[in-house]
Amino acid sequence: MSQSLVLLGINHTTAPIEVRERLAIPAGRLADATRTLLHQPGIREGLILSTCNRVELLTLQHEHDTPSDLLRFLDEYFAVPAATIRPHLYEFREREAVRHLFRVASSLDSMVVGEPQILGQVKESYTVAREVGAVSGTLDGLLQRAFTVAKRVRTETQVGSSSVSIASVAVDLARKIFGSLSGKTILLVGAGKMSELAARHLIQQGAASILVSNRTFARAEKIAATIAASIGDKPVAAEIIPFEDLYAHTHRADIVITSTGAPDKIFTRAHGRQFLDRRRNRPMFFIDIAVPRDVDPEMNNVEGCFVYDIDDLQQTAAANLADRGREAAAAEEIVSGEVARYQQRLLTLDAVPAIKALQQNAEQIRQTELAKLDSRLSTLTPEQREAVESLTRSLTAKLLHPQLTALRDPNKRQ
Amino acid sequence: MSLLWLRVAVLLYGIASLAVLPAALYDRPRWRHVAVPATVAAFLFHFVSFAETLNAAHHALPVDTHETQSLLALLLALAFLLVYWRYKTVSLGVFLLPVVALLTLVPAFRPSHETLALAHSNWIFLHVVLLLAGYVCLILSLLASLLYLVQERRLKAKSHLLPRVKLPPLDTIDQIALRTLLFGLPCMTAGLLIGSAVAATTVGAAFFIDPKVLLSFLMWIAYVGMIHIRRISGLRGRRAVYLSTFVFFVVVTVWAANEFSAVHKFGGV
Repeated sequence: MSQSLVLLGINHTTAPIEVRERLAIPAGRLADATRTLLHQPGIREGLILSTCNRVELLTLQHEHDTPSDLLRFLDEYFAVPAATIRPHLYEFREREAVRHLFRVASSLDSMVVGEPQILGQVKESYTVAREVGAVSGTLDGLLQRAFTVAKRVRTETQVGSSSVSIASVAVDLARKIFGSLSGKTILLVGAGKMSELAARHLIQQGAASILVSNRTFARAEKIAATIAASIGDKPVAAEIIPFEDLYAHTHRADIVITSTGAPDKIFTRAHGRQFLDRRRNRPMFFIDIAVPRDVDPEMNNVEGCFVYDIDDLQQTAAANLADRGREAAAAEEIVSGEVARYQQRLLTLDAVPAIKALQQNAEQIRQTELAKLDSRLSTLTPEQREAVESLTRSLTAKLLHPQLTALRDPNKRQ
Repeated sequence: MSLLWLRVAVLLYGIASLAVLPAALYDRPRWRHVAVPATVAAFLFHFVSFAETLNAAHHALPVDTHETQSLLALLLALAFLLVYWRYKTVSLGVFLLPVVALLTLVPAFRPSHETLALAHSNWIFLHVVLLLAGYVCLILSLLASLLYLVQERRLKAKSHLLPRVKLPPLDTIDQIALRTLLFGLPCMTAGLLIGSAVAATTVGAAFFIDPKVLLSFLMWIAYVGMIHIRRISGLRGRRAVYLSTFVFFVVVTVWAANEFSAVHKFGGV
């Protein structure tokens, strides 16, 4: 019985968060959901991809089944009426389903094109589906191909190479200045979600110690504790600097992140010169997330001081995002080529049973004809007998050759 | 035969000089896989050619300006490969490889008519090689300082609107600039000491009042001074480039002083 590849789903472009959250499957329930999907009538193989931006069912089913079966699964499993889901659904079959899967794995269908998490999420879904026996022959091959395509896209294009969030742009810039962040010291002045996030990113990338300064000492202690706790097992030396001693300690930091609510500048050009003198001209990177700004932009003119404010970071992130868009065009070409290659391979595989049948039939005819002549061939020596065998085999192969070639070539077959 | 190997080396240096542009400036790894092997191959051909030349002439040191030039190019190519091996950056190749190609081009296509007056001792060979190594380190350091300046300007300009050019981190460039100088100092010191010792035994006291020789010692003082300033004050960026450029011009002056030297020059055959 012939099979059909069907992909049914919703994503951030077709469904609002209110719908997506009702269909989202927690990681702990993914195995159960996949098993339930596999038990739906007509489903031979299946995989569920559930992330915050998409829920997709990839299935291999008997050709006569319609997507309404999958819709019923969604309806029953999530207890969400089909009428609520239907307007947001998209469905791809065969070639288009392959293309969609390749695009998703390569992060070309993501909200932030090129983000790296999606490939890991697809791999997680694949692992779960394999464990419950929902993925074996065809889907297994397809998913392995999708991982290869994603790897090609990542290595042959720059689609995922530039940072597009404020925190990762900050890390990127720090790397351009210091190379490795290993052993570097961060000074966090003031409080704020974004500055704490940037500090966390920098520590995760290797920074060894953090100094925290706040007008309220207790608040500084709390921030230091929060950051240290969020880093996990990585040992981080945290030190609280009383706000009145700030200038005496700033030169110790390689990276300064400021986000105070101060109406005036905290760090001026003169401060920059002072810090650099104390550091024997080792560079300093100021990340000013405060509005109004904490760091005088003039400090950027001091040799060795690099000052980036929130606008600079946002513009860099936006420019990187635009870059990704350009690279995505090259990535789409890779995906198209890979889809065509995959289809070609499938068609070749489809012809295998026919080829085998043809060869078996020819062999049977050869054997029958030789058997008819058995009494007349009995006078032959073993060498002569072998020569006749070889001749008939060769004749059969030559007669079959044009038909076998046509069967192996999908273009000639169609 | 040696000339053929040298011409092959020139061709390969040329290919590497072109391939290094997209590799270094636009971070295209495929081009790096052309530039680096081409440089390695060119270096090997160049080395074979150089060794064959010396062997054929039955001497163990470069005896004319072209051979010296060729040796300088060989050392520059080696320096590029060592920097790539240690820091995984090909950025310096943007400046270095064309210089290497040009330095090799002349010996490969124009025969030389000059010989070194003191071409008779293994000590002189060491003197030449060590001083050339010192020059190579200085050139490398100057290029790294220039690269530092470019990268610093780009970061200060917040150049997200400029074309996507990928340069090594500032810290890496600074390390290259300082470490090459630190490596070059013992080479230059030993080179000068050996040269002086040989000169004292062959030319005598007159050697030490020669303008070329005096300039050489001034060059050494400038070299030491530059390292001292860079280490003590952590000099980087614009001022480091000024300092390196000054010392580089002193070196060029010392090189050019062959023309005015009575005891240290290349003579006609």
